[in-house]
Parts: sequence; structure tokens; C-alpha cells
Amino acid sequence: MAQRTGWRDPIVTTKRAGSGRRRGPRGAAERVSGLLVMLPWLVERKRVKLAQMAEQFKLSESELMDDLMMAAVCGVPPYSPDALIDVFIDEDEVVVEVPLLFSRPLRLNTAEVFALTSMGKAALQLPGIAATGPLVTALAKLRRLLPSAQDLVEIDLAPVRFVDTCTAAVESGEQLHITYFSPARAQRSERTITPRKVFEDGGHWYVAADDDGSGEQRVFRIDRIEALEHTSSFAPKLTAHLSGDPGDEGEWFSDSLQQVTLRVQPRARWVVESYPYISRIMNVDGSVDITMAVSSEHWLGRLLLRAGTNVSVLEPVELRDVSKRTASAVLKRYG
Amino acid sequence: MSVKISQAERMINLLALLVQRSQPLTLRQVRNELGSQYPESDVAARAAFERDKAELRDMGIPIEMITLGGDRAGEGAYTVDRRSYELSDLGLTEDELEALKLAAATVRIGAAYGDAALWKLGGERALEQPLTSVHIELDRQLMPILADGLAERRILQFVYNGENRSVHPYGLLARGGFWYIVGFDELRADRRVFRVDRIDGDVTAGVPNSFSRPDGFDLATAVATEHELLADGDGAHSSALVLVDAPMASRVRAEFGDEAVVRVRPDGAIEFNIPCANLAAFRVWLFAMVDRAEVLAPPDIRAQVKSWLNELVGGTQS
Repeated sequence: MAQRTGWRDPIVTTKRAGSGRRRGPRGAAERVSGLLVMLPWLVERKRVKLAQMAEQFKLSESELMDDLMMAAVCGVPPYSPDALIDVFIDEDEVVVEVPLLFSRPLRLNTAEVFALTSMGKAALQLPGIAATGPLVTALAKLRRLLPSAQDLVEIDLAPVRFVDTCTAAVESGEQLHITYFSPARAQRSERTITPRKVFEDGGHWYVAADDDGSGEQRVFRIDRIEALEHTSSFAPKLTAHLSGDPGDEGEWFSDSLQQVTLRVQPRARWVVESYPYISRIMNVDGSVDITMAVSSEHWLGRLLLRAGTNVSVLEPVELRDVSKRTASAVLKRYG
Repeated sequence: MSVKISQAERMINLLALLVQRSQPLTLRQVRNELGSQYPESDVAARAAFERDKAELRDMGIPIEMITLGGDRAGEGAYTVDRRSYELSDLGLTEDELEALKLAAATVRIGAAYGDAALWKLGGERALEQPLTSVHIELDRQLMPILADGLAERRILQFVYNGENRSVHPYGLLARGGFWYIVGFDELRADRRVFRVDRIDGDVTAGVPNSFSRPDGFDLATAVATEHELLADGDGAHSSALVLVDAPMASRVRAEFGDEAVVRVRPDGAIEFNIPCANLAAFRVWLFAMVDRAEVLAPPDIRAQVKSWLNELVGGTQS
């Protein structure tokens, strides 16, 4: 079958929604809760660059300035200078003197303890993190903040071969020669890659790399790397980290994939839950119409084979018989 | 006449006042102390005060109210004990804070909660993008409800598969890209596992200390792995002999281990013994390899596979 324009391999995913900063007027509660966190943080440091503090707390410098100026006129009656929160701007630095109020941080709420504990437990499963190091002792101390001695959250990042090698290559800049299996085209390929970032998403590990085969940056699923060899060749490491929120891999993903619309019956709901879709319409009979990006006709046929008659193609019309053609091909093996 | 002052400024002044005064203050006293920061009208002042109080409580500031007696019988007075909301020193070392900072930079679960936790602990969020990252995001609105349910043993109520559930949450597990609640389901009167993204609509949490967690409960083994799912069914056969072509065979071998290998053929293809008691799960697993795998035995599983394929070949699209 001829390749269609827009098929991309080996990438099988859609672009993530951007996680840009929120903007618009901030409410009173947001400003106050922010100050109750910032003031004790500042008290510990005494003097911090305004720009640095604004970046740390994800505020613009003018927003931070507004909040600090507001705090500087707050305090207790009679609101004389010695009864106000003693914070001021000295040239480009924020300075806090003898703290009258709000010098100790607020307690962590359960969501914050839960989030940080989960992050720590996940990080412990990453290559290079010592199971007896400071992260372990930090988690033990965090646990004191919860009322139960039992583990309330567990993170299970399935170990995958080559994650540690790819991670080390990101650090060293070493190029790796890989044998990669692409289910989108049911083909193996040999290529040399320069790993730039390793990440886990949706239960799978990926390496984003410079790919010598295409001359582009590509994302490879690490569990589809069948063989890997060191080359002892080193590419210059990226000197600057990518901008944006940490961990936002949106830029790595292709958005030039073929779109299909599927009708999914309730018995195949796992299809809706397992793959990213662009849009979803609930029908009165309980079925769902989803529009999703697919990387190849082979990949679509594979999905339809797994889901059976519970999923059908609505659009484009020329792909409506993909499941029939794929099933016929497989049936040949069974005589 | 009330002066023009922002609600944020008034809230900070209110909190400062309640923390600093050793005696509880009535609303009338608060208004006297804060001058004209609250509206002149009693009704409007009460409404503004209630709003400030509620928002401060939402931030974790426990504003206590006591009911006065004597000549002020029935009047409410308010106080805040700073010890009740201030964090006691956990004694984290610099290395420990740095380790938490790296973990928070690397693992995405709910950035806002992780960052706030780090700041409260005296640390900082990482400003550079890490070279390794993990995404196990949990809905931002859901996280505090689930965390409270777990930590405070509150019963969670939600709709799952079209049924109203009341669940005693024993633990939360992230595996394979999904979050699971493991707990006691009152509807089934048994332990059940709920995938968080399959919950329909909102989750509400009941009152604290509403259940006990069983002794010896092991969260890590409470949710079946994909392999366990294949074996978890009532099919007539517990396993099937599956021939996998060479290009796919190494991956299946890595997935199921050498113990699943029955025979390696000269061309590199391998015959595996694969659990199939759960036929629906077996189908999804088998057809992921499209025409690179074939069921050899038992005969009725092979016939079942042919039947699935014939159904698609003979089926018509709407």
C-alpha cells in the first residue's frame, strides 16, 4: 500500500496541550496564599533578587512587586512602621528585616505531602538514584506529616531495558547505534541516535534524540529498541536546556499525523481510554465518536483488529475497510 | 466611611490581627480594630468578613470561633493560634531538600502542589528542564480530595460504570500510565480497584475517620499487572501455544521471560506458552502483533481466533 502524506514514524502520539502560564487578574485568595508562602521563604533568605524571586514563584516582576508592596502596608493596628510587615525593595533586591508576622511557613496540606511523596517515590525508581541516599531519608521525614504509618501511595514505573543506557548517553553525549522496531510500519530499522532527553509518559519510556536516519529530532519508545550498541562517538552536549516548563515534551511530538474518526461501542471503551484523541462526541446509544491521529494504516489496522467489531471507521471513507483488509491478511496464516 | 482597600490587604490584616491578639475578637471588635477596612453597612461587613474567613480557612488557617457568654451571650468571637497552622521543623538537610527538588523537577504529577510543598519546606523549585522526566499527572481538582480521603480515612463517593460507589480508600497506585484507587467498595461489599480516569463526574469525600485500613494491606500487589490480567478469567484453557515471528519474538521473550519459551525455531521464531484464561485480554495482546503471531494450540482457541478474524472479514461498515 502506498504511504500517505502525513504518516510519521516512529512517533505515535498527538501534541500535548500547552501548559503556558495562566494570565488574567489574580484573585485575593491567590495573592494572600502566595504571600503566606513567599514571606517565610524570604525570611529564611533575607535578601533575594526581585527577578530571581519572580521566576521562582512564577510571577511577573510587576505582580511580585505589587504583592510585596501590598504586604509592606499590612500589619496590626495602629499600623505604625513598627507594626507592619517589614519587607521592601532595595534597588533590584527584595529585603525582609526583623519579621513581625508570618515568619514560619504554613503546614503542608495533604495534597502537597501526597504530591511530593509521589514525586520522590517515582524518582527513586530512576537510574542513578541511590536507594539509600538523601531522597530516602527525606521521604521518611515527610511521612511524619501524615497520620497513617502505612504507605498510602505507590508508584510502579515498570523497568525497561536500555533506559539507564539512554539516560547515561544523554549525560555524556554518546551516540548510540540502535535496532528499532516500528509497529506503525511493522519494520525494523538500524539507526544511530544522539539521545537528548529520556522521559516516561502514559506508562511508556521514550528517548528524544537526534536521528541520523532522518536528520531530524525524533522520539523513540525505548521498549521498541531491540538492540543497542555503544559507538564511543560523542556529539556536543546541548549547552542550554530547553525552555518552558520542566518536562513539557510537546515540542517533540508531531502534529502532522493522519486523522481518523472512529465509532467506539461501549464494550471497547478501553480504546477511548487508552489513546489520545482530538475530539469526542457521546452518542445517545452509548457509543462514542472519537477523532484521533494515527501514524499509519498498519497501526490503525492493528487497533481495529484488537477492538473487533466494536470499533468502526467513520472517516475518512477510504479507510473504512482497513479492519477487513487487516483481518484477511492475518487469516491467511490460519489456512 | 470605608476606605478603598483590596480584599487581599484586608485578609492579611485580619489574619495578622487574629494571630497577634491573645483574646478572641468579635466581628464588632475586628471592625473597630481594622477601622474602615470593612464596609459601613452591618450586612455588607458581615458578608465580607465571612468571605475573608472562609478563604483563609481554605488556605489552611484554622480560624476558631467560640461562643461568648455573660452580657455578650451568643455572640461569636474569633481567634487563630499560629501553632495550629505553622509547620514544625522537619529537620531536612540541604542534601535532602536538593533531592526533593530534583524529584519534583523530574516527576510531573501536579506541579502546583509539589512547588508549594518545596517552598514551605524552605526549598526551591528547579528552573531548568531536567534531562529525564516522568509524567504521572493526576487531575488537579481531584488530588486534594483523594489525598484527604486517604490521609484522613474519609469515604469517597463517585459514579463508576454507571453505578454510585462508596469506597473506603486504602491506597493509590500509579502503574502503566494510570492511577488506581484500591479500597473497599460498599456496593460489592468487597475490595475493588478503580481506575481514576474512568470515574464519571465528581468525587466527594465524607467525614474523617470513617473506616479502618486492614492490617497487612499491600498496595503494591493490589492491582493486577498485564500478565496477571491475561490469566485472570474463566476461559476453558489457561494457556495457549503461540508462534511469534522472529522480529517480535525477542520482545515477547523479554515480556514473559524464558519460562514462557516452548521452542525456538531455526528462523528465530519462538513458540510461547501464553496465559489466555481471560480471552478478551488475550485477543488484545495477540492482535497487537497483527500477522506476526499465530495461535497453534489448543484447537478451540485457534478456532476462536479464526472466528474473530472471519467476523471482521464478513462485517460491514456503517
